[in-house]
Amino acid sequence: MSDGLTHAAWSDALREGALLGGACDDCGATVGTPKAACPHCGARGLEPVELPTAGTVYTETTVEVPPEGIDERGYRVAVVDLGAARVLGRLDGAAEIGDAVALAGHVEDEQGYVVPRFEPA
Amino acid sequence: MPRAAVVGAGMTEFGIHDIPLEELFAEAAFGALDDAGAEPADVEALYFGNAMSGQAENTTHLGPKVATHAGMAGIPVQRFEDACATSANAFKNAVAAVEAGVHDAVLVGGVERCTPETGRDTAAMTRVFASASHRQYEQPAGLTFPGVFALLTKRHMYEHGTTEEQLAHVAVKNHGHGALNPRAHFGKEVTVEEVLDGPVVADPFRLMDCCPFSDGASAVVVVSDELADSYDAPVDVTGVGHATDVVPIADKPTPHVTQAARDAAEEAYEQAGVSADDVDFAEVHDCFTGAEVLASEALGLVADGEGGPAAATGRTARDGDVPINPSGGLKAKGHPIGATGTAQVVELTEQLRGEAGARQLPDADRAVAHNLGGDAATTVVSVMEVRG
Ligand SMILES: [Zn+2]
Repeated sequence: MSDGLTHAAWSDALREGALLGGACDDCGATVGTPKAACPHCGARGLEPVELPTAGTVYTETTVEVPPEGIDERGYRVAVVDLGAARVLGRLDGAAEIGDAVALAGHVEDEQGYVVPRFEPA
Repeated sequence: MPRAAVVGAGMTEFGIHDIPLEELFAEAAFGALDDAGAEPADVEALYFGNAMSGQAENTTHLGPKVATHAGMAGIPVQRFEDACATSANAFKNAVAAVEAGVHDAVLVGGVERCTPETGRDTAAMTRVFASASHRQYEQPAGLTFPGVFALLTKRHMYEHGTTEEQLAHVAVKNHGHGALNPRAHFGKEVTVEEVLDGPVVADPFRLMDCCPFSDGASAVVVVSDELADSYDAPVDVTGVGHATDVVPIADKPTPHVTQAARDAAEEAYEQAGVSADDVDFAEVHDCFTGAEVLASEALGLVADGEGGPAAATGRTARDGDVPINPSGGLKAKGHPIGATGTAQVVELTEQLRGEAGARQLPDADRAVAHNLGGDAATTVVSVMEVRG
């Protein structure tokens, strides 16, 4: 059993261009963000695994009314299907659902939290 | 046998209320007590919902504050926060408490103030609402709540061919229903063209696909089955289901099916001994037009993929075969977050008593309320029936 995947490790990997997920030895599920236990079967110690950095758009939207703290409008947010797992991030460019995209960096908020940024592949 | 009964129901108008939360809640609480013919002294506990007062108004520990203001200091108050499902969660726990004999009669309700006129501006409230999305894995992307439901709805559109015009029909229908409801935030009818001409908030949602920021309060008196017949107009609660789903959205196996709603509905129907076919009407959580489409399918009221066409062809209108949101829903009635769940119970109570006035549905004997929280990761489904 591993010590599992933490937010810090996930974020450090993302800053270096890698996407980490957690794989469950018990039920075979893989999740795209750190969990202390498998959301599907409860097994602890998900094995950190490197996820592909390319995939397809699972769903997306363009946000025209942003929250306080974000000045730009018309930015896109997408859930990207990487095969074993999905992750949410920003999407720059014209990709629609089903189109191929690849990790192109990250965006960081005012508290230093990062999420992936994707572009058309 | 019913699990409990609602014997009193009250709510404020939903809209703009420039008064403290305590005053706003007391108006709904007194409405419920007066409707039941009960006094504050008859209430053994308060199950209270408020989602965001700490963030939005810098007031916390609201339970004893609202209880004191409404003449109920001394009784135990439990406060619930479950994003938009806040007061349905309070209702679920109140029903369980009277069923188990912990209490015989309780007050359940919620209050919230969200309007820019009485509090924070749209950008600030958009940020407060976004706190229900994952802090580390969603918020940094700039995801808003219209954005959350846009992600779910666009996948539904991709899978089933749901169109923006069908979504607009949900707004048109609920505005039409709301025009018959004197307590609705929006009382005017709109057209499909007006909805489709509105500015985009988060595509596919335009302004009129979105519920408003509202202020308001709602409350109901819940009593045990044994006590119900000592009140004038009891309505039975025969099932309450409550389920959660994985957070964040990206880790949900199939986000647009809103699995928590399906699980909660199955539980509620099983308790009540009914199926979706037995439901005469529903109040569902239409924070956005797409959310009503997803809810109508999750509750089994229409087949998967038929939610959009059902709205467009009038099946879910007041005179359709599966009326949805006769109150106007969140879309037109309004959505003061912590008050929404029990406001649905108020609508079910009034309709099932035959006291809904201009918006009264014919032959309403059994109804379902669907109140979801966050990215649909919490859903409470309640079945209520004319007392047998
Ligand atoms: Zn597992």
